[in-house]
Amino acid sequence: MTARATDLAVYHHMYQSIADEMGAGLARTAYSPNIKERRDFSCALFDAEGRLLAQAAHIPVHLGAMPRSVEAARRAFPALNPGDVVMLNDPFEGGTHLPDITLVSPVFHQNQCIGHTATRAHHADVGGMTPGSLPNSRSIYQEGLRIPPVRLVRGGETDDDLLRIVCANSRNPAERLGDMRAQLHAHHLGETRWHEMIRRYGQPALLQAHDELFDYAESCMRAALRELPEGRWTAEDAIENQAGDGVQARIRAELVLTNGTASLDFTATDNAVPGSLNAVRAITEAAVAYVFLCWMCKDNPADPPPVNAGCLRPLNIHTRPGSLIDARAPSAVAGGNVETSQRIVDVVIALLAQAAPGRFPAQSQGTMNNITFGGTGADGQGFAYYETLAGGSGAGPGRPGASAIQCHMTNTLNTPVEALEFAYPLRIRELAVRPNSGGKGKSPGGDGMIREWEALVPMDVTFLTERRFLAPAGTQGGGNALPGKQTLLRDGKTLPLPAKGTVSLHPGDRVRLETPGGGGHGPCS
Amino acid sequence: MGNPIVLGVDTGGTFTDVIALENGTLTGFKLSSTPPNFEAAVLEGARTLSRSAQHTLLHSTTVATNALLERKGAKTALITSAGFRDVLEIGRQNRPCLYDLFPRRAPGLVPGHLRFELPERVAADGSVLTPLDLSTLPDIIQTLREHRVESVAVLFLFSFLRPDHERTLGAALEAEGFSVSLSSEILPEFREVERGSTTLVNAYVAPAMGRYLSRLKQGPASRLHIVQSNRGCMTPERAAREAVHTLLSGPAAGVVGAMTVARAGRHNLNLITFDMGGTSTDVALIKEQPVITTRHTLGGFPVGVPMVDVHTVGAGGGSIASVDAGGALRVGPESAGAAPGPACYGRGDQPTVTDAHVALGHLRPEAFLQGRMTLHPERAREALARLGQAMGGLPAEESARDVLRLANLHMESAIRVISVQRGHDPKDFTLVGFGGAGGLHSFSLAEALGMTRVLIPAHPGVLSALGCVAMPLSFETAQTVMWRWEDNTPGQLTALLRELQADLFARCADDNIATDSLTVSVTLAMRYAGQSHELDIPGDGDPGGLLERFHETHRQHFGHCAPDEPVELVTVRLRAETPPPQIRLPGLPERAPEDPPLSVKNGCVRREEIRRGDTLKGPLILTEDFSTHLIPAGWTVTPDAVGNLLGTREDPA
Repeated sequence: MTARATDLAVYHHMYQSIADEMGAGLARTAYSPNIKERRDFSCALFDAEGRLLAQAAHIPVHLGAMPRSVEAARRAFPALNPGDVVMLNDPFEGGTHLPDITLVSPVFHQNQCIGHTATRAHHADVGGMTPGSLPNSRSIYQEGLRIPPVRLVRGGETDDDLLRIVCANSRNPAERLGDMRAQLHAHHLGETRWHEMIRRYGQPALLQAHDELFDYAESCMRAALRELPEGRWTAEDAIENQAGDGVQARIRAELVLTNGTASLDFTATDNAVPGSLNAVRAITEAAVAYVFLCWMCKDNPADPPPVNAGCLRPLNIHTRPGSLIDARAPSAVAGGNVETSQRIVDVVIALLAQAAPGRFPAQSQGTMNNITFGGTGADGQGFAYYETLAGGSGAGPGRPGASAIQCHMTNTLNTPVEALEFAYPLRIRELAVRPNSGGKGKSPGGDGMIREWEALVPMDVTFLTERRFLAPAGTQGGGNALPGKQTLLRDGKTLPLPAKGTVSLHPGDRVRLETPGGGGHGPCS
Repeated sequence: MGNPIVLGVDTGGTFTDVIALENGTLTGFKLSSTPPNFEAAVLEGARTLSRSAQHTLLHSTTVATNALLERKGAKTALITSAGFRDVLEIGRQNRPCLYDLFPRRAPGLVPGHLRFELPERVAADGSVLTPLDLSTLPDIIQTLREHRVESVAVLFLFSFLRPDHERTLGAALEAEGFSVSLSSEILPEFREVERGSTTLVNAYVAPAMGRYLSRLKQGPASRLHIVQSNRGCMTPERAAREAVHTLLSGPAAGVVGAMTVARAGRHNLNLITFDMGGTSTDVALIKEQPVITTRHTLGGFPVGVPMVDVHTVGAGGGSIASVDAGGALRVGPESAGAAPGPACYGRGDQPTVTDAHVALGHLRPEAFLQGRMTLHPERAREALARLGQAMGGLPAEESARDVLRLANLHMESAIRVISVQRGHDPKDFTLVGFGGAGGLHSFSLAEALGMTRVLIPAHPGVLSALGCVAMPLSFETAQTVMWRWEDNTPGQLTALLRELQADLFARCADDNIATDSLTVSVTLAMRYAGQSHELDIPGDGDPGGLLERFHETHRQHFGHCAPDEPVELVTVRLRAETPPPQIRLPGLPERAPEDPPLSVKNGCVRREEIRRGDTLKGPLILTEDFSTHLIPAGWTVTPDAVGNLLGTREDPA
């Protein structure tokens, strides 16, 4: 017997609303501006075997990588008990980069584990070389506190010793504590709501529906894949060097589409690099999943079909251990999550655009423009302020790109100017769309953005940015966008700033960051 | 001479509801609305009900809302501090849909060539970094004239701390004949995107509102008040300048109307209102007073003035049911609207929520809209049978049941947003269902949410008009201060409150309102230093206990508090209102011993036959002129003294 179509829709919406309510609870109770104001977190539900059941619409690079966290938690603790919560951030054991701390907890019904809830939040500082913990590091040991899967809560009792270690390694311990509590609160909400759902529909009916929910999502993805022709295509793109003036390593991939499945082979990608742009395999999986989910949702992005583990079944991903996009310890990985993930998206879109010309956009800004300011404020308190900046999105036929908008693997909000100036010894001098930075074309690419900060006290600024040299490309005759750039305005002079690196600022110095536009589509008439 | 007549008029897209209240006697009826000249129906209703010119008209209007949502507002320009002309286009920089190959934002209200900058800058401590330089203003004004700009929004950074730059520019623009909206007047609070967006929306809708009100003022009313989105009224002069306060005028009137009849029936005022119409459904929560929010988004634009926290979902009686590519059932967001309408109206053939009710016999052809419209049940069944085919061969009745389950799920999610997600348990509330389709869903929704009380309000057809007459006049002001508590905040606060109250009373005096009758309430937005979200703490009385109240409220909302952490006072809000109008609703007659008992025909009861003392047991269909209520088994319904019907059931838990 099969669960009826309407039951499936009902269960899907219920699971989805649990994830949404966890997200609302996390945002409501979080402490740091990074989580409350910028919404840099994600929530999801998994079944007993760790398969993704439902997720809230948060941050793609989190969501696509979280199944690996649940897997790592279950591997480390095969016999979790009710009231346990596993914490981890180790990129080589279920995490992606150290600031993203993930919690995983089992949900029990009648002494049986029937599922898991998971939350991932970007903590503004977990130690390491520079404030904000997104350093230009050369090994994982420079990036901050590394947490393998450990039980933060056992049988409902929080291990305060572990929390003390986490806090002691952060430049802002009070914030860490508040944010960890908010994550725990979200888990509590999720479990309560899940139990309510079981009372309402009965666990046997729900359990039976899980497989059908996966099958249903799989059929949606297969239907979307069948709209593409069968065949074999290759594409490559590159990440830039430290200075932002040359290529550091290439990502190469081959796509085979056949019979409603997609197979992606990244094994020809270059080796891991000495810097921090290495991505663990979970990120590669997240980036690939993101592009195919976009394709699956293309007809109705505002109300998409269910996104769960079933969607990913028709996708096969091959990577080579030790390569840039399947990095192994002790590679530095801080930037893989935020930068290399965007480049993997570019490669996957380039593959699909060959299969279905005109159905995929030109390249978007392709970077998150990570910038972190840190130092000591006038009140003697340390501060770390992190921001990612929007840019232009790529155009398609009849669809100009959008300007100053978050693209692909992130969707975090900005920190409002007045909120920022109240909180930090910084002043914003300009916040504007960057004119003429989108690629020209019949449909022009979106423009990037300009943001200019003035330091009011001595402080350090750290950049982790891409697309400073390799411009976002147009498609089908459309023009390339302008790459991004950052400059220092000091004593009336304009000085260059590195794409990646840390610079000390004097009071009165201004940092001007101009983000890339998106590529254009089609030749200008 | 009796008491003066008070008229309440609520204008909706389809109907204009009118009531008159005179010496506790209520008269009311519905008229067809007369778009685009909505005032015609309003004036006709007023003339019909008021024999004398001496009446007060309280009016909720959608003129501003329509101008915004249909993008028919004034040609508007924006002037900002130098360097920030795009700040509203960029907004919070996120994309609306997560998985979208071609992300798009709703187009802004001001195109790039009508955004201007002037050199000026105020710092976060209120000091002037760059004085205002108006040397380029003549050029700007010339451009405005060339483009026939009617209205100008002004957004300078930190203007809420030092409004003089905005005021200087505003005076210069007004002297040139432009309609001007200053961010320091419309919403003097921090966060430039929310303040600026609110100001721009005001600039965009105010001219249309001004023209509408000047036409309305030519009517016979001796006094005219306009319902704001925050459970209060304002004078037409203020409404024309600050039209952004009327964006939820209609929904606010509905919420207050529901509260008014519940209060008259002496019910507990923990209510969730559920107003389900043809294309959309509004839900709101009342805890003694309607919950007010300053974080609304309308038409994609943040609007930060206080408004009733109404959550709207695009699902109603006309929502279309379909089967998607993967074989799953969907209800909405597409709607059959009024044309072609649901399949049962005889023109369209797509199945809707209304068709599901017809197919299941919930809506009877003989009782529908007082027989003004002919229903075609066979067309509803055919449409649902086709839907059933696409779902693997379900009979029409079963697919109808599925459509209702899914529609209920959307409604349930909407109610969860305003209750569970805001920290309220629906079980502690009574569900008040109204609107054309509300009664068909309210009982089953209550069951799904674990609620044990449902109120079918008295006077459902004119509830919003009733809400209009129940509103006091209200005035609000706010000031962002960003004070650390330990830096003598209680002392400074007393002085600031005096100052703000004087401002507020001056505005009341401008509107010819006697200030001695006003009640003033204070709300303080507070947070732990470093947090980015504030909690609203009632600030009346002794400032000494405020800090403790903040810690305690924080613990209640967030599950934890930190009494050792420094606290900031972010924004101070004051509200003054006139005494609430006393409304006496007509009583429901008792069933006299000689009267025949209530008659139930085919499981149906007519509402007008119900008398005090009757008890109804589900399952039952209750019909009245503009709506039908489905009362399932397990529910007992009894009327109260003023004609509300309260449904209750045993708590299953």
